Amino acid sequence: MKAMRIITALSMILKMLLRRRIIIISLLVLPFVFLTIVELTAPTRFIPFRLASLDVRVFIRESLKEIALVFFSVTSSGFLVSLLALNLVQIENEVNRRLVICGYHPFDLLISNLLALLLVILTIAVYIGLLINEFVAVRHLPMFIFGLMLIGFVYGCYGLTIGSLIKGKLEGVFFIVLLANIDAGWLQNPMYYAEAHNNEIIRYLPAYFPSQSAIIAAFTDYSGANARFYSILYGTGFLILALLIFYNKMRIKK
Amino acid sequence: MILKVENIGKSFGKNKVLKNVSFEMDPSLLYGIVGENGSGKSTLLKIIVGEWKPDKGNISVAGRIGYCPQNVLLFSHLTVDENMRYFAAAYNIEKLEFISRSESLMDYFNFKKFRKERVVNLSGGTQQKINLAIALLHRPQLLILDEPYNGFDWDTYQRFWIYANQLREEGCAILVVAHLITEKERFDRVFNLTEGELT
Repeated sequence: MKAMRIITALSMILKMLLRRRIIIISLLVLPFVFLTIVELTAPTRFIPFRLASLDVRVFIRESLKEIALVFFSVTSSGFLVSLLALNLVQIENEVNRRLVICGYHPFDLLISNLLALLLVILTIAVYIGLLINEFVAVRHLPMFIFGLMLIGFVYGCYGLTIGSLIKGKLEGVFFIVLLANIDAGWLQNPMYYAEAHNNEIIRYLPAYFPSQSAIIAAFTDYSGANARFYSILYGTGFLILALLIFYNKMRIKK
Repeated sequence: MILKVENIGKSFGKNKVLKNVSFEMDPSLLYGIVGENGSGKSTLLKIIVGEWKPDKGNISVAGRIGYCPQNVLLFSHLTVDENMRYFAAAYNIEKLEFISRSESLMDYFNFKKFRKERVVNLSGGTQQKINLAIALLHRPQLLILDEPYNGFDWDTYQRFWIYANQLREEGCAILVVAHLITEKERFDRVFNLTEGELT
């Protein structure tokens, strides 16, 4: 019966997601717009750069345009998943509470939300992965898509945490935009990172490992196994936090 | 006895909304709670159903609770049928049983024609009917209703009271937050909540 409840909740969550037109439009249009703008504006000059998670002697030489395209595909993947995750737990919070009062276990609801989120992560990663492949010849496409899934996982779980923690929609969006903009959209850019002071700080931010994993797969033949492992670990940390906050807020209080 | 509320207290900051509220409810009786706006009626109901935690006191419930909140709490992007099915899953109702109960409630409160419509597209009164029907879906033994007829037309309002009386005759204990003085005679017992205390 528990599995039945999770399946019911998952199907309802997916129906609600698909019926919000703005969500579908954002998923399809935003990455395409981002990448087209980069394609039209970024310079084509080749530059050498170093990736933080590879050996210091390894230099990669790519055009600024290709670096920017790959970097923005990672950023938009994380940003979109994070916003969707926030939406999943926050927008129907009060009604979900009523479901719990009527008998749903908070964990059943969170597991259903998580499964919906995983489907969203997979869809966004595959879509953006295939889209970027039209702009840049990515060296290892499946691994690159997996990197996009990892940024989706880390930022999705961050979105779940923020959605569980913060009641106000605007405040939630603010926290997502703030971190996604500074971390995934700026500090993890390999061009910025190479020249940054105190780049140990950047290594502790959520987008570090997933962006490294995706960029390694896009431009090199090196293994990004470490970056992938730590991405999963980072995302799991956010997930546990989200679980605890969500459970504490949703449980029946006697 | 189906519900026992003992010495419940609840404050929001310095505002003591409930002070040592105690009462009991027995099956087959219809209870009303009256009181001014902000007197703590909804707070008390939210504590009874477990939505909020009291600062002190105990609640004992011996039976299935059905709760209709004051505000419509439905998934606005799901259809009426889907909302009913989602809450039926929460109540653990079997499929055949669910079909029979939801059909009967949709017929009685006259919203069957909207079953395939999304809730967001329905009028406030129809949304309130669904809000109430969800509280009744699992044949509760204790029914907690917070101004359940807001937005009802006269016919639905009358039908609501007929339904409530039928449930009472079947053994259900019902607690209704009410405002209208004329409603007081409908109840077997009326609690007046004044300055956080029941009289």
